[in-house]
Amino acid sequence: MKRQTSRILSSLTSAARQGLPDGCGLIGLCLLSGGTAAQQGARQSTLQPASTQAQSIELLWWIMLWAGVAIFLAVMALLAWALWHGRHRESPLGLTASKNFVLLAGVAIPALVLVILVGGSLLLGRSIASTPPPDAIQVRVTGWMWWWEIEYLDSAGNVTATTANEMHVPVDRPVAIELVSGDVIHSFWVPQLQGKTDMVPGKVNSSWFVATEAGQYRGQCAEFCGLQHALMAFVVVARPEAEFNAWLAHQAEPAPTPTTDAAQQGLEVFEQSCGQCHRVRGTRAVGVIGPDLTHLASRRTLAAATLTNNQGHLAGWIGDPQRVKPGNKMPRTLLSPQDMNNLLAYLGTLE
Amino acid sequence: MSMSEVTEPQFSVDATQLSRFHGGTDAPIWWGIVGLILIEMSVVAAFVISYFYLVMVNPTWPPEGQPASELLWPTVSMVLLLVSCVTMYLAGKSVNRDRVTAFVIYTWASVALATVVLVIRWLQFQTFDFSWNDHVYGSLVWTISGFHFLHVVSAATGTSVVALLGMKKFFNSKQRIGVVVDTLYWNFVALAWIPFYLILYWAPRMTQTAGG
Amino acid sequence: MHKSPTYDQTPEATAPLSQTWQSPPGFVSWFTHVNQRQIGYRFVVTSLIFFALAGVLALIMRLQLIAPENTLLGADFYNQLFTMHGTTMMFFFAVPAMEGLGIYLVPLMIGTRDMSFPRLNAFGYYVYLIAGVSLFVALFLGMAPAAGWFSYVPLANIAFSPGKGMDFWTSMITFIEISALAAAVELIVTILKQRAPGMTLNRMPLFVWSILVMSFMILFAMPTVMAGSVLLALDRAFDMQFFVASGGGDPLLWQHLFWFFGHPEVYIIMVPALGIISTVIATFTRKPVFGYTALVLALVATGFVSFGLWVHHMFTTGLPHLGLSFFTAAGAMIAIPSGVQVFCWIASLWGTRIRFATPMLFVLGFFAIFIIGGLTGVMVASIPFDTQVHDSYFVVAHLHYVLIGGAVFPFFAGLYYWYPKMTGRLMSERLGKWSFALIFIGTNLTFFPMHQLGLEGMPRRIYTYLEGMGWGDLNFAITLAAFVLAAGFLLTLINAVISRTRGAEAGDNPWQADTLEWAATSPPQNYNFRHLPVVNSRHPLWDEADLTRRQYVKGLRADRRELLVTTLLEAQPQSVLIMPGPSIWPFLLALVVGFGFLGFMFQPLLFVVGFALSFFAITGWLWPRKPWISTKEN
Ligand code: HEA
Ligand code: HEA
Ligand code: HEC
Ligand code: CUA
Ligand SMILES: [Cu+2]
Repeated sequence: MKRQTSRILSSLTSAARQGLPDGCGLIGLCLLSGGTAAQQGARQSTLQPASTQAQSIELLWWIMLWAGVAIFLAVMALLAWALWHGRHRESPLGLTASKNFVLLAGVAIPALVLVILVGGSLLLGRSIASTPPPDAIQVRVTGWMWWWEIEYLDSAGNVTATTANEMHVPVDRPVAIELVSGDVIHSFWVPQLQGKTDMVPGKVNSSWFVATEAGQYRGQCAEFCGLQHALMAFVVVARPEAEFNAWLAHQAEPAPTPTTDAAQQGLEVFEQSCGQCHRVRGTRAVGVIGPDLTHLASRRTLAAATLTNNQGHLAGWIGDPQRVKPGNKMPRTLLSPQDMNNLLAYLGTLE
Repeated sequence: MSMSEVTEPQFSVDATQLSRFHGGTDAPIWWGIVGLILIEMSVVAAFVISYFYLVMVNPTWPPEGQPASELLWPTVSMVLLLVSCVTMYLAGKSVNRDRVTAFVIYTWASVALATVVLVIRWLQFQTFDFSWNDHVYGSLVWTISGFHFLHVVSAATGTSVVALLGMKKFFNSKQRIGVVVDTLYWNFVALAWIPFYLILYWAPRMTQTAGG
Repeated sequence: MHKSPTYDQTPEATAPLSQTWQSPPGFVSWFTHVNQRQIGYRFVVTSLIFFALAGVLALIMRLQLIAPENTLLGADFYNQLFTMHGTTMMFFFAVPAMEGLGIYLVPLMIGTRDMSFPRLNAFGYYVYLIAGVSLFVALFLGMAPAAGWFSYVPLANIAFSPGKGMDFWTSMITFIEISALAAAVELIVTILKQRAPGMTLNRMPLFVWSILVMSFMILFAMPTVMAGSVLLALDRAFDMQFFVASGGGDPLLWQHLFWFFGHPEVYIIMVPALGIISTVIATFTRKPVFGYTALVLALVATGFVSFGLWVHHMFTTGLPHLGLSFFTAAGAMIAIPSGVQVFCWIASLWGTRIRFATPMLFVLGFFAIFIIGGLTGVMVASIPFDTQVHDSYFVVAHLHYVLIGGAVFPFFAGLYYWYPKMTGRLMSERLGKWSFALIFIGTNLTFFPMHQLGLEGMPRRIYTYLEGMGWGDLNFAITLAAFVLAAGFLLTLINAVISRTRGAEAGDNPWQADTLEWAATSPPQNYNFRHLPVVNSRHPLWDEADLTRRQYVKGLRADRRELLVTTLLEAQPQSVLIMPGPSIWPFLLALVVGFGFLGFMFQPLLFVVGFALSFFAITGWLWPRKPWISTKEN
């Protein structure tokens, strides 16, 4: 039902969108062109919801926007009339008229509007914030300066798979997220799926959503967390449940043993130079300071969704992480070209 | 403007006969000190509320293995501070009656009581068996104690100056607003110990038994 | 215009009084001045300098954001910039600007000669100056704070902000609050105890009411942030555990302490602005604003309710939803006093012949901009919606709309309106109107698109964003628009500087306004009023346009600084207050206290030294002069 109405409303508004020029300023209508920039590639817009939760918030937004536009125009019209009216001859409002005017426009009408708004958003808020259904997938997300650790939990709360900066979820099934922080406050936000919830040290917060459409959605840290707060993003991949299960089973496995010489040597380089910070399950690299890299090659992005994951970017990142993301906590590692090549070959095997 | 247009203005209020001395609420400074006290009360409230907030978020209070503090000496401080309010009150009474010597004696007595409290507090600081950086309980106890200690120091020094001025015959039944506002502040500092005393020395006992 | 005063104002007649109230000339003496007009003027001018500095920081920020992946500024510098921009605008521009207007105008408006505690007033100014200058020195040394204007812990704690920047922040915030609190106490006492005889509370100008409400809000809000920043300083300096989760502390405690102050803070900024609006509307419609009582009650209600709103800045921290809902309701409730005021003003404007002078234009601009900001405020007060736009550019848009609409526009209206009183000359109307147009257009072009950026997912406080996000075009437009806005402000600056010497002579009451400050000369004499006025109505200058019927107070001595103390409600004459004259002690005290606070950052013991030294300064300040009892007294 609710979905239905939201569909209707958003198709109405997108029709309205088409008829309006961009950036028409002042009055509030400009917001209606909401989609345009976002349609051209970025996938981080609250106005393109892909979950039940984000859809209902979007609906709330359109209702509030229209109500706001109406109130604003009404007040401006009153003001204009008030000014226009007396331009030739003084004709001020009488005392009683003024009193009635203020009581009606300044108290009664706003009170009514506000009661509706408060009531509506409380109901909606309750449904969004309620506890997730018991069949939800359990994920724990930990915010670190400036990347995301993502752990899948089984029903007993044990970690089954660990990854970073990329979260996969099944479509049409609730996902419950446990939010914690490893250092300072971060905030978990995937605009197309759910509003944000902070990750506060010493506290375990939670959030949940049901993705309704398969696709890739970008999330970004929304609480200022220091130097690289700007480049602390991640990707959520929503896919049919069967695909998701296969992915999860694969992520749970340790890394494959390298088969080529180059990769074998690369593994040694990795264990030597990177292992104190990174973990690749099944090897002697067991660091916990940086992201788990067991299935690095299967990921879409590098450095918290800053770069697309390809060999060039990977080489650039390892060669000088501080140039890509100045101030981040991964130091530059000096490697001979030979070692670098082997390392890249090895990392390439981490499917 | 030319002088010729000047007429005599209508004077409907004559200030010549109004007093140039102030005894209490007619003095701006009295209101100023009340303002200062309101500000400080907001600070005290912020500390007290923070205290209870932290009690609430912590499962055990005081922290595991941390016994609640002794009651005896803080209680003695409480009593001495309350007595000092009385001596300050008597000092005010004396100055109202132009009994300058009594005034000076009572003020110095108050300062002496405050000094005893300061000594007691100082000795107690030595006996705290936790540091301010051990846990938030320690931070609270030290900060609140330090905050109140500094206030007693200020009130006592301010009052010593009043006493000195009294010895120089500055105050009398007319010129006494200085005494009135000093007393006001004194009472605040002394009474501020009540909430602090309760949260520092009684609250941990309550939460300890309540928490089992 | 050339009505004669009913009493002799010639230099010969007023010389003794003028002498008594004079501020001594000369550079060193400058630091001894205590008269409310000097101090108020300094507050206003200094706050405008900080406004320009913070504005320029914003422009530099905008240059960095003009294009995706721009490398003009590094992350660290950008973070310092927005922290300094926000901190300066909120603490060093908006609040002191309003206080400054209050300090300058309140004694004139209530018909007295000075504030209750002139030396405290001067002290407050130096404290403000030292705090602001220290922060900017830190910025130039590259050690400015970089944790945002609300400095969330643990980021702001020593573990994650090890440099001196945050120490500057905690020390100087504590410091500036001392200044604000001093001003607040002083304004309250002056307003309650020094109103002209006959100026009952019920006859007090609305601007004075708004300053009174602002001061009470300061009194109850600022101590919390002071307590908070002291606790943070202790955490940082002595490894205390207030905000450290592992030590039993709680990072959210900081947020509660900060926002318990931070939310009232924004209304502290806006409430005096509302007073300016009522004043300007009355003058330019030439009739009393409608609903005096309603407007006063709305101010008071805003003051009260604003203390119940702080958690709406914490909707995403994971507090229980039911508890949060209360704050949605409170957020909605505060829209009602705002609505009442807006519609009282519209009712006042209804069908009147309005003079569209620059102050009035800024007031009309206020309506459009503030209401947009207010409406987005009500939107973000809805929890589900706020979870989407919190900490995004939508909030940046909201806060600039309300702050620029609700504080900067009214403040500029006030500046154009009272400039002639302060300087004796009118500002150029032509430049004023151009400036208004540029500021109005610039504000909308700069901040309106930010709503859209927020909805498209752009978080705030990011020094850069990726090409693929599609936020580039709007950011480009915003940056250009910010320069239009800056040009508008620049025009007013030029206008103010030029008009200082070249503006038309203003005369005592250029706008034919109703309140007492216009009964003084422009600029006012050292003593404000030769004879303190007696008031019989809410609009003394309108109701007693016939000067010969005005009434005055006599019997105050001219050979020392005397003024009248009246009763709290009815303003009946009560006693005479003898005011202190110029003194260097307030400046010295500010110096030693500043030394204590700044020293604390490097060596905590220096704080104790500052504390001890300040005791001597205070004694020097207050020590009475012999002979103690003058026999001439009655
Ligand atoms: C002058 C400053 C000022 C003012 C006046 C306001 C006014 C309001 N603000 Fe705003 N606010 C800020 C300054 C201000 N704010 C700042 C600086 C921040 C950000 C801090 C930071 O994070 O850095 C902020 C952030 C902020 C938040 C947190 C957002 C977030 O971080 O997620 C919220 C949430 O509820 C909020 C709500 C409101 C509300 C409900 C009002 C209301 O008072 C508005 C009332 C006014 C009107 C509604 C318009 C007039 C009324 C009518 C015309 C009647 C008809 C109206 C209706 C029927 C609705 N504000
Ligand atoms: C009263 C408050 C106030 C005012 C007036 C402004 C004014 C402006 N603000 Fe500010 N802003 C805040 C309060 C304010 N801001 C706060 C509280 C924050 C949050 C900070 C935080 O997150 O911690 C913020 C954050 C903020 C951001 C977000 C930063 C981020 O999150 O990364 C941006 C970005 O565009 C911005 C821009 C501007 C601009 C372009 C102006 C313009 O209006 C400025 C125009 C003014 C001038 C340019 C000065 C006047 C000019 C002259 C006197 C002429 C001389 C100078 C030249 C022409 C060069 N502000
Ligand atoms: C001192 C610790 C440290 C060392 C040593 C280190 N890293 Fe990292 N690494 C990190 C941290 C921290 C991050 C997260 C950076 C960010 O995105 O902010 C990271 C991120 C990465 C990423 C991106 C992961 C993702 O999913 O986005 C890769 C790939 C990587 N490191 C590879 C390496 C390799 C290869 C080496 C050795 C040559 C190495 N690291 C050495 C700490 C380290
Ligand atoms: Cu993590 Cu911002
Ligand atoms: Cu608020």
